[in-house]
Amino acid sequence: MILNYLAYGVAAWVFLWGLYGIVTSKNLVHQVVCLAILQTSTYVLLLAIGFKVGGTAPIFADIPVGAPVVDPLVQALMLTDVVVEGTVMALLLSMVVKANEVAGTVDPEELRIMMG
Amino acid sequence: MSITTYIPLPIAIPLVVAAFLAFTGKWIGRRACDTLAIACAAGNLFLTLAILRGVWSQPYVYWFGNWWPRPGGVALGICFSIDAIGASLALLTSILTTAGLVFSWWIFEETENHFQPLMLIFMAAMCGFSYTGDLFNLFVFFELMSVSAFALCGLKTVEPAPLQGAYNFAIVNTVGAFMIVIGIGLLYARTGALNLAQVGRSLGSTRADSLVLLAFLLIAVGYLTKAAIVPFHFWLADAHAVAPSPVCVLFSGVMVELGIYAVARIYWTIFSGPLAAHVGALREILLLLAALCAVVGALMCFAEHHLKRLLAFSTISHAGLTLAGVGLLTSKALGGFVIYVLSHGAIKGGLFLCAGIVAHRLKRIGEDHLHGRGRGMWFTAALFILGAFGLAGILPFGTLLGESMISDAARDFQQGWFQYVFVFAEILTAGAVLRASFRIFFGWGDPAPTDESSRVEEGPETSEPHNKTPITMLFPAAALVVLGIAICFWPQLRSTADGAAQTFVNQPGYEDMVLDNTSMAVPAKPPEESLAGSILRSSIAGSLALALALGSVFRKRLPALSFTRSLEMGNRALRTLHSGHPGDYVAWQSLGTAAIGGLFAWFLR
Repeated sequence: MILNYLAYGVAAWVFLWGLYGIVTSKNLVHQVVCLAILQTSTYVLLLAIGFKVGGTAPIFADIPVGAPVVDPLVQALMLTDVVVEGTVMALLLSMVVKANEVAGTVDPEELRIMMG
Repeated sequence: MSITTYIPLPIAIPLVVAAFLAFTGKWIGRRACDTLAIACAAGNLFLTLAILRGVWSQPYVYWFGNWWPRPGGVALGICFSIDAIGASLALLTSILTTAGLVFSWWIFEETENHFQPLMLIFMAAMCGFSYTGDLFNLFVFFELMSVSAFALCGLKTVEPAPLQGAYNFAIVNTVGAFMIVIGIGLLYARTGALNLAQVGRSLGSTRADSLVLLAFLLIAVGYLTKAAIVPFHFWLADAHAVAPSPVCVLFSGVMVELGIYAVARIYWTIFSGPLAAHVGALREILLLLAALCAVVGALMCFAEHHLKRLLAFSTISHAGLTLAGVGLLTSKALGGFVIYVLSHGAIKGGLFLCAGIVAHRLKRIGEDHLHGRGRGMWFTAALFILGAFGLAGILPFGTLLGESMISDAARDFQQGWFQYVFVFAEILTAGAVLRASFRIFFGWGDPAPTDESSRVEEGPETSEPHNKTPITMLFPAAALVVLGIAICFWPQLRSTADGAAQTFVNQPGYEDMVLDNTSMAVPAKPPEESLAGSILRSSIAGSLALALALGSVFRKRLPALSFTRSLEMGNRALRTLHSGHPGDYVAWQSLGTAAIGGLFAWFLR
């Protein structure tokens, strides 16, 4: 019973630690990695949603129709999520590299040029 | 030609052209890139206009690959469900992109920066975002427009400030995007559907439980982050201050408003049934959020001296006002929202292009550095001042009609206090723009006090001196300001917008249209109410804004005017909050989410 809800708890746990990491980070690379950790919580959540105890792969070529299978749609959602966020991570890390070149720092505290 | 044949084109063509330009831009040269991109954006303008005409009286559902649901079945395919409101936002997107691309003809010296392809991708994503009828597709277009926006914002990677702005923008918005994914996941877990109409039908009008409320909270916060609603707004000022002016036009003119549009879309397709019992409490929460945003944005706007940052805070303030159009949760206010967004988008776009002209000619962007240096730029000055009065929403501007519908609707729900928020925001934002134009273009009074953010000077977008403003810059700016006025003269605009909004909020009709292929009932057009009250309010706002601007410029002459100094220096605590640190911004975002979640838990259970 508790196992049914464990995955959702893990998703929330990972999400909040990712958030904590982003808020307290002192290094831009570290901050981007924290964002990536936060993102893995969405994977866990989607997996938990699609998972079915005793379910198998949803390919009905060699199993009887009506057999318990996992949800085939969440993998498509997750794949889109992976692609989209891979792009964001790449863009963010390239900005960090540029910031290191231009400003000579990867500390968000020192990169503050605009404020107020 | 039937409308069906060209519905996917406003998304497909720009994406193909963008890919072509990204690959061949190096060889075909700068001018060919420009021409092709402008032609593509102008073509999109005509396509979106044709689609708007096609859906003017009856929304249209387009199923990709003809995967429409069988009668009584479930929706498995992906659809565009286009109505007049979404179609007019796509039209606004195309207009602003065309204006931005024409404006950029003489800026950017290097061609390697992929400016044109990114603009086209941005445009395609925003058009798709306005058209789609699928929850997950909405997220995909949201991310596509976010990523192109991050890249456009940090286009000038040789300076640290654009990197800081783009980085903060990307971090805060991406955290918001993950909240949306989680919200979508929860809804999918509950309903097994992703089509907006199908999700709405599955939830029905069963009273919302904590899972549905949590999904609504996370999706709404994600889109409100894009909409720069306080306390999710911090990224916007940083991003606008450093993005090239034609990009700011799209950010402020339509991207921010699309965030609010998305909240309206998901509310009226999914959540209006489950939350029907709490509509009064939800209205008050959203109105409070809107008022907070309008007031904070306006105060920060008047305290700002970096021209683009000033306009950015005015956008935050006006985003609060437009949120009220949705947050009143009624068709009349939603009609006002559409008119306000269209006219504000045109006017704010014109203002940003004027700021771009100033940066192009004078190489600086801080009000203190520019004091009196804009003498002789009469045409730009006239446009800038006209735009300021457009922000105040005085008589011949479309913003007046939007304000009147939102304020009328607020009074209908005994929330008449909101019209004073409107007046307050209009006075301060218009006053700030007028003050800046008096100092820059006329050199009146003393130079502006120097503040933190005006230290950030933009690297000029071009290096050689310019003694003349090219027509490719003046024309788009003038056209946008004129458009902001022309909207006001559209006959029967308010009742037309009200009719479109009634179609938009008709949830059962929407579900039947998408899932059962029926046509929507054509709503009766309500009579238009008198504009007298709004004209009076906006005239007062306009004159007070003028008085405030003159007062702060000439405050040395009259001791009684010294209060304008503290207004112009801003609230120290409020300014310190805008710390420029992405960690702080995400902390505020989390805190805001928790606070709104707390209000939801308390009042919507």
